[in-house]
Amino acid sequence: MSPVSRQWRSLDQLADDPSFVSRVAQEFPSLADALAAPSDRRRVLKLMAAAFAMGGLGGCDVGAPGGHLIPAVRVPPNIIPGLPNFYSTANVVNGYAAGIVVKHQMGRPIKVEGNPQHPASLGATDVFAQAQVLDFYDPDRAAAITAHGLPADRQLLQTALLTQRTKIAENHGTGFRVLTGTITSPTLAKQLDALLALYPAARWHQWEPVSRDNVWKGAVLAYGAPVESVPNLAAAEVIFAIDSDLLSSAPGHLRFARDFASRRNPSRTQKMSRLYAVEPTPTLIGSVADHRFIAGPKELHQILVALAAAILQGAPDSAAPDWVGKVAKDLNANQGRALVHIGPDRPAEMHALVHAINEKLGARGATLDLVEPVAHRPVGQGAPLSDLVSDMQAEKVTSLLVIDSNPVYAAPAALGFAEALKKIDFSLALTLTPNETSEAAIWAVPMAHAWESWSDARAYDGTASILQQQALPLYDGIDVHTMVALFTEPAPPAAQDMLQSTWKSRMNGDFAQAWHDALANGLVPNTASTKTNVSLRADAGSQRPPAPPDRPLTILFRPDPSLWDGRYANNAWLQELPRPLTKLTWDNPLLVAPARARQLKLRNGDRVRLSVGKAVMTAPIWIMPGQAPDCVVALLGSGRRHVGTVGQNAGYDFYPLTGRNDLPSLEKAADSVELACTDHHNLIFDMAGDIVRHGSLLRYAKDPRFLAGGQQEPQLYRWKPEGPAAWAMSVDLNACIGCNACVVACQSENNIPVVGKQQVIHEREMQWLRIDRYYEGNPDAPTSYFQPMLCMHCEQAPCEVVCPVGATVHDSEGLNVMVYNRCVGTRFCSNNCPYKVRRFNYFAFAQEEQRPPESRNPDVTVRGRGVMEKCTFCLQRIAEERITSDRENRPLGEFKTACQAACPTQAFSFGNMADPNSEVARRKQSPLDYALLADQNTHPRVTYEARIRNPNPDLDGDGG
Amino acid sequence: MTAIFRPSANLAATLSLAFVAALLVFGVGWWWAWPRVDWSRHVRWYVVQPVPFSHEHHVAGLGIDCRFCHASVEVSWNAGLPPTYTCMTCHSQIWTNAELLAPVRQSLADNKPIVWNRVTDLPDYVYFNHSIHIAKGVGCSSCHGEVDRMPLTYKAKTLTMGFCLDCHRDPGPQLRPKDQIYNTQWQRSTDTPPPATLLAQYHVGGRALTDCSICHR
Amino acid sequence: MTDIPASASLHSGPRGDSRPPFLSDPVVLPSATNESMTDHICAIALHDRPYLWWWIAIVPAIALTGVLVVAIIWLFYAGVGIWGVDWPAAWGFALVSYVWWIGIASGGTFISALFYLVKVEWRTSTNRIAETMTLFAAACAGLYPILHLGRPWLFYWLFPYPDTMDLWPQFRSPLLWDFFALLTYVVASILFWYLGLIPDLATVRDRATTRKKQILYGIMALGFRGSGDQWRHYHPTYGVLAAIMAPLVVSVHSVVGLDFAGAATTGWHSTQFPPFFVFGALLSGFAMVLLLIAPMRRLLHLQDFITGRHFDVLCRLMLVSSLCLGYAYMMDAFTTFYGPDQADKTMFIDKVSGSLCGVYWATILFNVALPQLMWFPRLRMNQPLVMLISAGVIIGMWCERYTIVVMSLRRTDLPSAWGNYHGTIWDWATLIGTGGLFLTGILLAVRIMPVISMFEMRALIKSRRRDGERA
Repeated sequence: MSPVSRQWRSLDQLADDPSFVSRVAQEFPSLADALAAPSDRRRVLKLMAAAFAMGGLGGCDVGAPGGHLIPAVRVPPNIIPGLPNFYSTANVVNGYAAGIVVKHQMGRPIKVEGNPQHPASLGATDVFAQAQVLDFYDPDRAAAITAHGLPADRQLLQTALLTQRTKIAENHGTGFRVLTGTITSPTLAKQLDALLALYPAARWHQWEPVSRDNVWKGAVLAYGAPVESVPNLAAAEVIFAIDSDLLSSAPGHLRFARDFASRRNPSRTQKMSRLYAVEPTPTLIGSVADHRFIAGPKELHQILVALAAAILQGAPDSAAPDWVGKVAKDLNANQGRALVHIGPDRPAEMHALVHAINEKLGARGATLDLVEPVAHRPVGQGAPLSDLVSDMQAEKVTSLLVIDSNPVYAAPAALGFAEALKKIDFSLALTLTPNETSEAAIWAVPMAHAWESWSDARAYDGTASILQQQALPLYDGIDVHTMVALFTEPAPPAAQDMLQSTWKSRMNGDFAQAWHDALANGLVPNTASTKTNVSLRADAGSQRPPAPPDRPLTILFRPDPSLWDGRYANNAWLQELPRPLTKLTWDNPLLVAPARARQLKLRNGDRVRLSVGKAVMTAPIWIMPGQAPDCVVALLGSGRRHVGTVGQNAGYDFYPLTGRNDLPSLEKAADSVELACTDHHNLIFDMAGDIVRHGSLLRYAKDPRFLAGGQQEPQLYRWKPEGPAAWAMSVDLNACIGCNACVVACQSENNIPVVGKQQVIHEREMQWLRIDRYYEGNPDAPTSYFQPMLCMHCEQAPCEVVCPVGATVHDSEGLNVMVYNRCVGTRFCSNNCPYKVRRFNYFAFAQEEQRPPESRNPDVTVRGRGVMEKCTFCLQRIAEERITSDRENRPLGEFKTACQAACPTQAFSFGNMADPNSEVARRKQSPLDYALLADQNTHPRVTYEARIRNPNPDLDGDGG
Repeated sequence: MTAIFRPSANLAATLSLAFVAALLVFGVGWWWAWPRVDWSRHVRWYVVQPVPFSHEHHVAGLGIDCRFCHASVEVSWNAGLPPTYTCMTCHSQIWTNAELLAPVRQSLADNKPIVWNRVTDLPDYVYFNHSIHIAKGVGCSSCHGEVDRMPLTYKAKTLTMGFCLDCHRDPGPQLRPKDQIYNTQWQRSTDTPPPATLLAQYHVGGRALTDCSICHR
Repeated sequence: MTDIPASASLHSGPRGDSRPPFLSDPVVLPSATNESMTDHICAIALHDRPYLWWWIAIVPAIALTGVLVVAIIWLFYAGVGIWGVDWPAAWGFALVSYVWWIGIASGGTFISALFYLVKVEWRTSTNRIAETMTLFAAACAGLYPILHLGRPWLFYWLFPYPDTMDLWPQFRSPLLWDFFALLTYVVASILFWYLGLIPDLATVRDRATTRKKQILYGIMALGFRGSGDQWRHYHPTYGVLAAIMAPLVVSVHSVVGLDFAGAATTGWHSTQFPPFFVFGALLSGFAMVLLLIAPMRRLLHLQDFITGRHFDVLCRLMLVSSLCLGYAYMMDAFTTFYGPDQADKTMFIDKVSGSLCGVYWATILFNVALPQLMWFPRLRMNQPLVMLISAGVIIGMWCERYTIVVMSLRRTDLPSAWGNYHGTIWDWATLIGTGGLFLTGILLAVRIMPVISMFEMRALIKSRRRDGERA
């Protein structure tokens, strides 16, 4: 029996595969060791150590020289032992790029930071980018070419491709198909065009499981072209978000979040913006809205029609709820400062209507820009996949190339892609990890990770970035460009050369210099798409979206906030990341509204039978406050059948229910299951107001300090750190959108282990930084509040006085320091922490992790069994700054903690409070500043800025 | 009835009590002393190396500066060990086919690094930074001893936490003039500036050097 | 002195073998003479073939101790995570059981030390049993603080010794005070217990028939010959130790109370904890003594020396401490709702009406409600009932510790940190295992040590005789 959960132990099975270990050994000796050593051996050693220690030898490390020192034969350029290097690239999700900078330690990638110069990042990252480190080092990654499931090598592949090339060539590509996701890469686009030009009869299919077709089709309906609309939230004062993904997943969402937050804190912005959101199920934008309305698909339709009527014809519609009129009034009153946004799940006609409304509101050019399409041939995704499948069934397809796409798992089950695939005599899947498709395809070829090869991609606004290679390939993967090229020529040039040939023509000035700058800055200047002058089609405003069928139950298929469409399912950080609103990990129960749960007598974790036509599946449910009663939400991306040891069978696969038009039905099944949720308090917490202080803009206008902490009471004893610096943090609750980027950033920066589902159920998760979510009001339509919670570094810290060995003490600069190697594990400090931010290694979690040492942050101790740990304010970064500034005899400079750097909305500000000009010192002067649980007299160095909401007086007196 | 114990039993009893007491004293003494003994700390233990590199010859004999091989000592926490190339800068000219240097040539030939055995090691939870100590006037020999007197390199100081704290509590006496930092023979003498001067010169004293967070993360 | 064959006195045991206790009983039945008493007690220790019941009892006891050993080995191998402790409930069974055992231990010391100082007669025939009980209860308690550490092999870091890290323990921590308090208490208890044994060991030695036993007891008696000189040193020493022990009972439990009161944690941060813990300790202490003497009186034929008087006094003591505890419970509720802290109130409401409220109400029932039966003199003489109530109190006290430790932790100031707690099989194994250790210890002691302090008993009987003659 091992106390550690299955997910993590089962890596051993793979570690027992000698071929794998040897493969890895070439590039990563110590990874090989890590994998070769069964977890128990390490345990035994530890036990022996313990035995000796108890013999009295331990405690003092006897300083026996251990191990070896291995200098390089020749030091690579720019590498200084012990100092990190940073190389820019971009993280691409659904084809759209956001600039990142990868931190290297002795040539090994260890951390992802945002690229401050990149318009889609401005220094922030999303959870996916942060988690790339784990994906890159994933031991489950596809390691070798297989044909018919048997090991093959490049030679065999080459010969197979040779026959393919000749065959395809002589019938001009008839029966040759390429399937990819959305593509913004100029080079790949060029290659595909060349391919199609060479083989006229061949066809290229684009398809994303989570598609944005409606957005583009809507644009076509409105403007006759698939123009991209790029909102500018910094300029928007009244925003109406209809089932919108603006802050969560829309291309450029990091940038949108930053701009949005810049108008939300009344103590810093002249005019606070007002956000209305209407949506069937809670999303990030809904949770931070000033007014959130709940509406199922049918109501959404009515509402939009009514809104259009009110704004375009100026004739309010009686069918819709009366708030629509008031919102319309507010929008109309803010001509040129208003913005309406609608999410990709709504039909194209509605998008067209929204375009018309925005034009009428004078949004274009003010709060949004229309630019040339960014994606390559965006329109008409989806349809081609169905064509492809029907052609495959009709045996019109002879050879199929699938690039980084997983249709066997994610294609609408109704299409029957998997069956059709069997009829093809040459199918080749290029995938990062072995997945359902590579399993079904005849040829499975490992794809080079984005950090192992060269490529390029464009951001939401068209800005192009060069994705430069970050490390030598761990496994002999083939990159996308080479793979495509291999279908036209036997020995294509290296990916880097292809890229340069693309960009030679597009970069002006000295190419060598331009290329270098592009790599250094992480973007190619002046590549943003140009604004279009397309004009709204006359009939756009008169679009009548087809009314959705009147159904008692609608299933909304949404991407999982952490796993997206399933491509990140093997990433343990993302699996264990508490989802923003449900706080669930490792699982994706069906989300049902409280009303429906009451009606079906369902409690969290009860299983239900959900059927759409012939497709039936049972899954547990989770009650989602603020969801439309006639909707259930199925999160896609879990329940992967073939993905690797982490994501294997974690959660439930709802794809089989997709793409069907039958009436869905839901009934209670017998049993119930235990779900790994990280919060355990009652749903509606009435005292939340004391913890997450909040109020309305009206009251703020009357008295800005109405939420600030009360005056300091007299004290007998007050200790103050007297160091040269005073490290402190201020967290702006007006900015936090609960996106979790900080949590993963912290996990990655501080070597925080993953514990697995069982241990999360056992309430032993380890994240140092958590985002608390509170609901207030009526469970059916609550207001929700986010509050990042980390070590408060109290000046009078309760944890310190109770530790018998002084393992947690205060340093002169105000840090509450946790000295791991002094900790004996009484856990009294955790009991005595009012904020409960301390985490305990009940088992050797980190050692069980089977993660190559190279992937960890060498500046942070990897904690062993039986030791307490907690947020250190990124002590390693403080120490680095201390040392460099002292070395250069200059005052401390600016630097960021991991959470602060990752945060898209700049909710965190960290720095030296003693310096009155520092950002944090200024923020602490804000009238909204308050200390959490001030009555505990802990004097926390972390304080919060209370959340102000800006409700429409017409709609409710004070939404505070 | 016969007596159960002969009178000698009293003596036995007393002796055994004394023995127990002695054992106790010795045990405690050992517990206290053992970790402080140089031998238990491997101080002055020669470590066998793949190449019997002599600091004495290279430093004292040839007068090569520490930084020639330990190049990153001034900028990084890691002083750095010479890559094979550094060795070969000279040894491609002199002692080109010395038996002793075969491993070095081998390393260059098949591009396999030389694996040196550690001489001084600190626990992984201690984050010692060479650059700051060098910058603040702590010489190599303060921790590494008279390296230029070492035909084979050995650990010169106990390097216990106590050893570090002695200096961190009162750095002054340990500091030396900038130009003496790499002089492993340097001793405090009458013409050395007084500690206070050096402290001021190096701007030491701003931080509480005994904070746990200075060395542990 | 003459050798009376030990076996003889057992078959025809002292008079009134199945004699029930009466309220009117004196501390020693008149039938008991010094000779009969000494013979009887020595015979128990020296008897070659142990009683059948003893074997029946010791086998399971040792088996349970085995369970403890297995649990501890697995704990050190796998880590403290095998227990139910989690986040936020970082303390669980270990602390509950620790406080529980140390509380039980109090009874012995209180009876033998405090009542010795105030010269209470009835103490004489129960103090040996009580002290033995204290010894092994304290031993069980002593295990837990080390076992519950995340890195138990470093427990000695709590001890101030000159290490090469120049580090000392943190003297502000209640846990450190506790470490010292417990250490002192255990050491003192052992000394006190052993010192009290010496004269009796000497007696047993003199009566031992076989060479082996003579030597064994001889060594243990440390050459005590009962010379006037030795007695002159003996009595003051014993007195001094008693004087040290008596305050220790109070101090050790106050410090245990401070383990909690010293924290800012919801539900712990209360000034009444130290006395509150002393009350609880005494209650469980008296209960455990009653639980032991009732069966031993019958099984070892001690009816002459353990009489109705003893049951009467001990039951009344139990009643008093139960009333004190009841008062503490009331104050707990009162201060919670009188005070301003909302979190405290939330926690208390969860305690009395939440998912674990059963534990709280069991505490009230066993510790306060049932002991009220002891108001009735007749019931105090009813041994089965007294044993039941005592057993109830033992359980009730465990529940009380559970309420204090777990329920406070699972409802902390921030709702986002609320959680739950469940003991695992290993928690239970360890708890039951310590029970086994306790039993084994008691049984062994009963088997080889004089169960009643003979030399004090002789003095008592003599004095009573004298009174008898005077009357």
